[in-house]
This record gives sequence, C-alpha cells and structure tokens, in this order.
Amino acid sequence: MRSETEVNHAVEKYADMVQRICFYHLKNQADTEDVFQNVFLKYMMSDQSFCDSEHEKAWILRVAINACKDYLKSFFRRNIVSLESLGDVEAEVAEDYQEVLEAVLSLPAKYKDVIYLSYYEGYTAAEIGKILGKAENTVYSLLSRGRGMLKKKLGGEWNGQ
Amino acid sequence: MGNSIHDAFDNIKADPQMKEAAKRYLAGRCQKKSSLFANHAFYRTFAAACAMLLLVAGIGGYHWANQPVSYVSIDINPSIELGLNRFEWVVSAVAYNPEGEQILQELSLKGKKYTEAIDLVVESEAMAPYLEKEDELVFTVAAQGSREEVIEAGVARCSGHIQHSSHSVNADMETVNLAHDNGMSVGKYNAYLQLSEYDSTVTVDECRHMSMSQIHGMLSEHGQGQGCHHTQQESSGDGAAQGMQQESTGGGNGQGAHRQESSDSEYTEQGGHHRRRHH
Repeated sequence: MRSETEVNHAVEKYADMVQRICFYHLKNQADTEDVFQNVFLKYMMSDQSFCDSEHEKAWILRVAINACKDYLKSFFRRNIVSLESLGDVEAEVAEDYQEVLEAVLSLPAKYKDVIYLSYYEGYTAAEIGKILGKAENTVYSLLSRGRGMLKKKLGGEWNGQ
Repeated sequence: MGNSIHDAFDNIKADPQMKEAAKRYLAGRCQKKSSLFANHAFYRTFAAACAMLLLVAGIGGYHWANQPVSYVSIDINPSIELGLNRFEWVVSAVAYNPEGEQILQELSLKGKKYTEAIDLVVESEAMAPYLEKEDELVFTVAAQGSREEVIEAGVARCSGHIQHSSHSVNADMETVNLAHDNGMSVGKYNAYLQLSEYDSTVTVDECRHMSMSQIHGMLSEHGQGQGCHHTQQESSGDGAAQGMQQESTGGGNGQGAHRQESSDSEYTEQGGHHRRRHH
C-alpha cells in the first residue's frame, strides 16, 4: 500500500488525465467522481512498482479506462438512473471546441480510446496497443475508422488538425 | 493550425474540489487500513493459528465423539451390535446376519441414546416374529470400567419394558475384538466361546449361522450343570482367554471360565430355554 504523500502526489499529477478519460466515457459528474476516487484508491492499494513515470502514467491510464468500462457495465449503473444524471453536467469548454468534443463523444468507446490516446496523449499505435491490450494493426484500423467517422461528423475539410 | 482534438481535450481539467474530495477520501481509507492492519503479520499469523487449532479440535473432537468405546449386542437370531461413544450415543449399528440387516434397514439408530435404540430394535416390526417364537433374546454389554455398570443398568431398564423374557451378559473388550475378527457380534461370539468349552468340534462358522436359542440348546444338551452357560459374567480378558484355552483341552468342566452368579439369577427350564436375569 502506498503512503498518503505518494497518493496525493499522484492525484495532483494525473487528476486532469483521469478527468478527461472519465469525461469521454461517462455521462455525469457523480459517476466521474466515483470512478475518479476508485482509480486513485486502486493506485493506493496497489503494490505494483513502476520503472519510471511513463510506466506509472500508462498504468493509471489503463486502470482509468478499465474502471470507466466496468462502471458502465455494472448492474447498478445500467439499472438505476440517478437524479443528477437527468440533468447532465456539461464540461465547461470553449464553444470553438464544443463541436469537436461532441463529435469525439459520439464515437463508440473503442474509437474514443484510441483517438484520445493518439491525438491527446501522443502515443504511437504500438504503445496504444500495449495500453489497451490490442494488436498494433487493430489500433491502426480503429484509428483510421475513427478518423473517418470524425471527418464525416465535422465535415470533409477536417483533417485531424 | 493546432491539433483541435488536443486543444479541445486540453480544456478539460479536474475540478479542484473533486481533487480535494478524493484526497480526503483516500486519506480516510489510508488511516482506516493502517489502523486495521497495524500488526498485519501478527494478525495473519494469529488467524492462521486459530484456524489451525479449530480445524484440529474439530477433526479430533469429531473422531473422539464418533469412536465406539462400548458395545451392546442384541442377539436372537438376528444379530445386531450397537457401538456406543463416550456419551453412550449410538455411533454404529452393525448387523452380523441377513436377519439383522433386515431389521436395521427400517431403523435409523445413529445419534440416538442406546436405550432408545434398543427399544426401537426390540419393538420394530421385523423383530416381532422372532420374539413371538419365544426365541432367546440376549443382550451383551461390552464396556470398560464403570461405564459397563451404567450401560448394563440402562439395558436392564430397557428390557424391563419388553414383554419378552431376556437376559444380559457382560463381555470384555478383548472378546469384542475377537468377535469382530470372526465376523460375529460380541453376544454370539460369547455364546460360541461357552459352547466351545464343552464341544471342541464346534466351529465359529457353525455358530455364526445358529440362532442364540440353538446355541443355548446345544449348551444345555451338554448338560454341564444347570444353566451353567447362562451364568457367565466375563468381566475380564481372562474369561475369554480361558474359554479359548478350554476349547483346546476339549470340553472342560466349566470351571474358572464361568462363574455362577447367584444373587439375581433365576433359572427355569421352560421349553428348552434357559433364562438368566429375567427382566
């Protein structure tokens, strides 16, 4: 088990990253808070030792993505609709990016993951494959199909830039 | 032009309140865990030791409670032997012939007090024809020390309820082992020992198929004094051993092996059936 200082440090360092993953997977703030706490709780309880900060980051990324998927799969989440979720909490984002984010959010989960990891975190297909436990070629095809879908949504002129 | 997806995601930041809430929650969990598992190794060892102790005590206790320490055999022609544990509960009920098996099939005797079990056996429907025929009903008690007297008193109380005449005999634990080695109940084996004293030609196999009244009939035919075969109270290992020795000398005179018990013995000869300790 990790010390409180270590955990606080990790929260400061990776909070934004976990928040972004929760943002594109989950629908409301209450769910996000739940998963956010769970990810860092897992980090605290884990005895996993990391070679470097990149390794640690990849571990947290993977844990966060899995935690979101598990949360969406859970019986409770599928069968109970909370009062808060009735009024979705939209992230406050500048209008310029609203369209892009909506387009990304409308993609199926497997495309969202590779798009986020590739475009935001800057991972290569091989690295994404390792994090998600998929073959490199699968990542390539997911990326190209995801890009195609985004292009359709955002108009022909969008080229990923 | 910048990467629009990158920039869009860059706008998303964790709420400082959420970060603080998470930190507080994790600190709470951290304290709870550390206080609970302050002596983690100690608790783990302690728990393992407790579990081990419970397991050993459980297995040992079960074995201890289920080990037969005394035996009551009920013989007419059906030959049944009840094994009793230290608390005088029936832990085994064994039939030594098909007639006995038939009786036990209908009854569930395990876990019952031996007096209750005896009542159930004697009052069972399958037993009725044997009792009607006025066959000899013999209870043989084999136990150690004071337990023998207790069980004997219980058997006497039980047989008191029975309308049929019966008698009880004591045997020692060595006889029990010999009887089991020969595939007989202790009661019948005891009767065989007596018979072999007078008739060296009789074998265990012959006796195994005879009813108690047949064996006792043969004993009385040998005419070794009035009901000498009913008077035995073999209270020590010597009794059985002597019985065996006398078998080799060929029809002894019944001395030593069997002692006449006069106080509560009453002998009547009625239709070839001798009875001792009529209850």
